[in-house]
This record gives sequence, structure tokens and C-alpha cells, in this order.
Amino acid sequence: MTKTKYDIDNENQWCPGCGNFSILKAMKQAFTKLKLDPDNLLIVSGIGQAGKTPNYLACNMLHGLHGRALCLATGAKIANHNLNIVVTTGDGDCYGEGQNHFTAAIRRNIDITLFVFNNQIYGLTKGQASPTSAFGMKTKIQQNGTVSSSFNPLATALVNGAGFIARGFSGNIEKLSSTMVDAMKYKGFSMIDICQPCISFNKLNTYSWYKERVFDLENNGHDNSDYKKALEIVHQNEEKIPTGIIYKKPGIPFHERLPVLRKQPLSSYVFPESELKNILGRA
Amino acid sequence: MGNDITILIGGAAGYGIQTIGNLLSKACHNAGLFIFSVDDFESRVRGGHNFHVIRISNELLSGPSLKLDILVAIDEKTYLNHKDELAPNGIILCNDTGDDTKMSNTTSHIPFEQLARDAGGKIASNTVAAGVILAILGASFKDLEKLLQAQFEKKGKKILALNLMAGKSGYDIGKTIQFYRSFDFNKSNHSNVVMSGAKAAALGALASDCRFFPFYPMSPGTGVIVNASAFAEQFPLVIEQAEDEIAAINMAVGASFAGVRSMSVTSGGGFCLMTEGLGLAAMAEIPVVIINAQRPGPATGLATRTAQSDLLFTINASQDEFPRFVFAPGSPKDTYNAVKKAFHLSEKYQVPSIVLMDQFLIDSTRTEPDDLKIGSEHESFLLSDTKMYQDEPYLRYKISDSGVSPRCTPCSGPFLVRSTGNEHTPEGLTSEDPENRNMMVEKRFKKVKHMKKEMKMPSLLCTEASFFLTGWGSSKGSIIEACLTLREQGIDASWIIFEDIWPLDEYKLKKILRNKKLVIVEGNATCQLGSLIRQLTGIDYAFSILKYDGRPIYPEYIIEKVQQIMGH
Repeated sequence: MTKTKYDIDNENQWCPGCGNFSILKAMKQAFTKLKLDPDNLLIVSGIGQAGKTPNYLACNMLHGLHGRALCLATGAKIANHNLNIVVTTGDGDCYGEGQNHFTAAIRRNIDITLFVFNNQIYGLTKGQASPTSAFGMKTKIQQNGTVSSSFNPLATALVNGAGFIARGFSGNIEKLSSTMVDAMKYKGFSMIDICQPCISFNKLNTYSWYKERVFDLENNGHDNSDYKKALEIVHQNEEKIPTGIIYKKPGIPFHERLPVLRKQPLSSYVFPESELKNILGRA
Repeated sequence: MGNDITILIGGAAGYGIQTIGNLLSKACHNAGLFIFSVDDFESRVRGGHNFHVIRISNELLSGPSLKLDILVAIDEKTYLNHKDELAPNGIILCNDTGDDTKMSNTTSHIPFEQLARDAGGKIASNTVAAGVILAILGASFKDLEKLLQAQFEKKGKKILALNLMAGKSGYDIGKTIQFYRSFDFNKSNHSNVVMSGAKAAALGALASDCRFFPFYPMSPGTGVIVNASAFAEQFPLVIEQAEDEIAAINMAVGASFAGVRSMSVTSGGGFCLMTEGLGLAAMAEIPVVIINAQRPGPATGLATRTAQSDLLFTINASQDEFPRFVFAPGSPKDTYNAVKKAFHLSEKYQVPSIVLMDQFLIDSTRTEPDDLKIGSEHESFLLSDTKMYQDEPYLRYKISDSGVSPRCTPCSGPFLVRSTGNEHTPEGLTSEDPENRNMMVEKRFKKVKHMKKEMKMPSLLCTEASFFLTGWGSSKGSIIEACLTLREQGIDASWIIFEDIWPLDEYKLKKILRNKKLVIVEGNATCQLGSLIRQLTGIDYAFSILKYDGRPIYPEYIIEKVQQIMGH
């Protein structure tokens, strides 16, 4: 593997052959293309195998609790909207434990980029069903198959007003990294749901299973500004898995919605001593 | 003793009971009088039984009172619920609706609503009542006129005229009512401030350079946010209603990590949801301030009532062990200072700070001398000179003698800031190494020795007494007043009041409490402060005066209980 400035000397704990390695590689490629130096990049993550990602990258890092990465990232972005923030999370972390924050971040249109490493299974806790596991999928715990229908993250994002929605596949690093670049360039909340096999626990959605199904929307002449078409795509069944940018529309990000942040980042204001003296005098 | 009276005004929600209270407190404040007012309301918007108790004196008041000199009963329920609280010679003003004849003959029947209707609208009934009361207290009509003008000018000429007329008819009736006390409303030079705990907390946060208030609405904590939002236009402030309390605390931690001081305000239930985030702040050593405005629980409990029952929970909240600060201010002014101290120390030691308030302290307002200072608590502890990290690696969790490591914000220089809730190395890399684990636990706990030195020991009236009324937080004022009243009765009582709660130096505390007969006074059922004292010092308390009915601890309650104990 070629060396990049995002490499770090820290033992990787992922299973050998895990799809996460490809996603990590795509991220490094995307950061390189964006000329984003490690000290100018903040990666926020939650818990799970995807949450470990910033531990394997040279970058600023805030590695928090299960499900809460988007909240930390939202706080950090409100504090200083000049920060380049990427959130790495998984299907359990983001769509299970943190689903409330997922829709709230979309509604705020907070200007961060979300990469969801979606392997349709809980890896770190050793193979339980995740919100995106196929209905009826058998696991060690769900021995007769899951009894809840599968969560549709992209449809959820779309109907709640997300302005940048994409799907990636860990098996196509080049394509994934270019989608990442587009997502990070987007002003507002952007997300890529990244399909990825779990070689240890998901025996259904394997590498070859995906390989047979994924196709590139761009090659199919998809117009990603077409909402109705996007709505159709996010409801497509599993027989065909479209990848690339599904929907893209400009919007006003959170920090441009508030006058106080439009002026300058919150962290850069000077302590308003004289205003405070005034109000204390009139308290 | 100064001239000191208490008025209770009660009626259904939606009647404007609070407006009457506000008018009275403004009139008194303008005249340099001192007030202490408490709102008692149900968790509903219309109907029910709500009341406002305002105590007025020409001297500084430390607590509220429930010995009523004037009972204003807008509805019959108020009369029935409170007639027994009337002081000897106290008077009752009740709303004459034409059919209530069962009230006692010491009562003045005043047709508040009819007078308001005559003035142009039933809506001004509360202004009629305010007029009656101010006349009885000795205010001039001019005083009332000025207040009404200030209050209603913005709402247009018609509404102002209506209220002036309603106020006048109330005032004229008030003049005919005999009352045994009156106040001098002519004195106006003073430098006092009337404030609620909620406002004081908001001001304290602003004075600490807090710029971010992520919160989820929960009574009674929301009052602090309401007060802060009044300044959102003039200050660099973001007040963000989060999707839940979990989001609120995590947003606060995220913003603090990125260099903006943040505070979240909640009540017990919300604080429960925040506890994992509290642990994250502790593990990642990211400063954050939380106000837990206590109410009785568990679960939903009594949403609009008061309690002091989260003391031990707050000290121990979240799994495992970590250093934290806990403060429990006793008045609005104390709250202002406690919130500043909470921010200052949270930043200095990179640990979470929690300020314990409660519905009583949040919602009640009182007059205090105005000496709120800006101070130096807003000064930053973030590393400003980071040049050295061009040559040497920056270690976010560098081991140091004090346990405190240099703190920088991300993307502020040619180095990486790596924070995590997992156990980590000095660089901030996840580590399960047992030696590293020990080293980091010990690093974090090294701070405690220094943190204890920052804490104020409890205050005492005097060190020799036959017993000590011992309490914490919002019951401070009532304990002080009860103690002084008991001393006037020849009973040798003193007080011990805790405002800085955690971490306390157990040896210093033991020295103070040794050989003292402690009578613990607090708003819970299990005597939590008593348990804490015993845990820290091995000293047991003699008696406890507890209250867990959801209502504030009034001085009269403490005195009655002391007399019962002494009778045994």
C-alpha cells in the first residue's frame, strides 16, 4: 500500500479482509484529492467497528459514545463552522442507537459529511441483526430470522430533506473516493451509505452478493437533481443496488441560518464584557 | 424585626395570578422594599389551583413565608385551601361573584370581575386585584399608574386605558379596607436587584463566557434557557433545542471540544439521560457544565414541584468513578456565583461541573443587594501559545503532576488533538494495556487533591450551639431564618450550610462537624446529606427534618419540627 500523510502508527483491530480497509483507503484518497491536511481535518465517530476509523488515521479525532457521533459533530460545527468534519459510523451506531440524531442532523442541515459503514450486521458485538439486516435474516440471536422489517436510511434522509444522498460500495474504491470528495464539497449535510460485506458474521450479504447487484448510477445517465427519480431509486428492491449520488440539491446550512453564526464562527467572538456590564447593571 | 407581611394570591391558571405578583414586586422594588415571592402552579396551562405568595419587608429577607397577612382568593378553592394559614388579624379579599356567602365575616368581598367588566373587560380582573392590594399596602395611585403604563403601553392605548381604569377602581376600594401595616413607598434610592434563580443562572453562564446552550425542554430547568434567550440578540449565543437530552449533552461536549464553553440545563429525568454523556466528558477530559434543576420523582414525579433529592445521584451519576464538581447554591446571587465557579473550575481541571438547583430556587424571585461582578471566570485555560508543538508532539493526555494536561482545540495548529471516550494513551490512542489503564486512572484522580482545595467549607452562624440546623442548596434561606427566629425565642441554635458539595476535604469537614449535634434539614425522604456526612467523616446526625411533598421548606415548617424534637 502506498504511504499517505494520513497514515498513523497504531495497530488496526479490524478483521483481516474486512471491507473497512477499502473504505479507509477511499477516505485517504478523498482527503488527498481535497488537499486536506490531517491537522485541518476533524473526524468524529461513535462506537462499533466503523467508530474505530479515526484511530487508524492521522487527523483530529473525537471518538465518543455509541450512537452519538452526530451530536458531538453538531456541537463542534456550531462552535466553529470552519472545521472540516467527517463522521464515521455504522448501521447499528447511526440507524439503531442514534436514529433520532440522524433525522435531527438532516433537519438542521448541519454542514458535515456522514459516512455510514453499512454491513447490515453488528460486527463488534459478534453478529446480531442490525436495523438494515434483511427481513428474515438468521443470526445467532435471531435464530428464526429477524422479525422487524429493514430500515431504509436513504429514503428516510430523502423524505426528511437531506440535500446530498449517495450510496457507495467498498468494493469500488475509486468510485467511492470520488463520491466522498463530492460529499465533502457539498455545503450542508451530506451522507454516503456505504455497502460493505462483513466477512465474519454476515453470510448473506457477501462480497460476491454485492458485486452481482451494484451498478453505477452515473453510467445510467441518472439526473441527481430529480427528486421523484431519487425517490424511486431509494425504494428500489435489493435485486439491483444503485451506487453514486442519488440526490443533490443546494440548501442553506445550519450556520447560515443563524445571524450570530453568519457573522463569524462562534468560537472566534471576543468576550462581550461591556454588553455584560450593561445587563448586570440593569439586572 | 422590620415591617414584614406575606400575601397569597390564588386562582385558576390563566387568570393572570403571576401578573399580579409581578406588579406587586415591581412596585415594592421601585420603593426600595425587599420581596421574596414563590409561584405554586400545577402542570397545566388553564384551570386548576395556582397561587403566588409574595412576602414584603423593609429589610432583607432570607426565606419565604406562609403565615398570611393578606389572602386574595380569586376562587373559592384558594379560600378553602389557605384560610388556615391566615395570621391573627390577617385579612381576606375574595372575589365576589354574587353567590358565595359561606366565607367568614372578616372577609372583604370585592367583585374583581364585575369591576373589570365595568372598566371595559373581564381580562383586567387581575389589575383590579393589584390595585386593591397596593392601596392597602400604602402605595400611591401614581405608583400603580407608572407600573401599568410600563406594562401595557406596548399593547396599545385601548388596553392601557382599560387597565388604568380597572386599577383605579381596585385602588379606590383598597383605600377603604383597614389593614394593620403599611409601607413607605416614597423611598426609592437603592442598589438592590430582584432576580429568580433561573435568571441568575443564565447571567452566571454569560459571565463565564458560555456561548452554547443545547437543551431539551424540561420543567423546571427550561426557565434558565428562557432567561438566556432574552440575550441571544446582543451576545454571541447559540441556543439550540436538541432532539433529546442525550443529544444536548453530547452537543455541549462537542462544542466544548472545539473551544466554545457550553452548558446544558435539565431536570432529574433529563439528567438521567445525560449521564453517559457526563461520563464521556469525564473520560475525554472535556469541560462541560450541567444544571440539574431538581423536581420530585422518580420518573415524571411532580413536574412543576420542588425537591432536593438528587444529591447522591448527582455525585455518583454515570458508571465507574471520575472526578467532578458539584455545587448547590442557596439563592439567586449564590447561583450566579456558583455557575461562574462551575465553569471556571470545569475548565481549569477539565472535568464536568454540575450545579444543583431546584424548582423553588429556579422560579422564586427575591431582592438581594446588587453586587454581581463579572470577575475573571470567563478567562480561558486553552493553550494560547502552541509554537512548541511544531517541534515536539502534542499529547492531549500528557501525564503531569496535577493530572491536568495542556488543552488545545482541533485544527488550531500543526498538531493533532485526539480525544476519546475509550481508555487511551497520552496521545489519545485507544489502549487496553493494563499499565496504561492504571496510569490514566491515576492521572485523572490526581486532580482531586487540588480540586478539594478549591471548595468552600460549609458556613456556620457560630461554632458553639446546642444544635446545628444543617442543610444545603435552596433551603439555605429558610434554615437561616428559622435559626434566627429560634434564637429570638431563646433557643441556642446555629446553622451549617453547604453550597460547595463535591469534592470535599473529609479531614477539614470532620474538624468542623466534630462534637456538634446535627439536625439535618433537606427536601428528600432519606436524609441524603446526613448519609454523605456520615460517609465522609463517620459523624452521625442527631435528628433530621425532612420534607418530600414537592413544596418548598418554609421557615415555619423547620421551627415547628424543631419544637417537636425539643418536646421529646
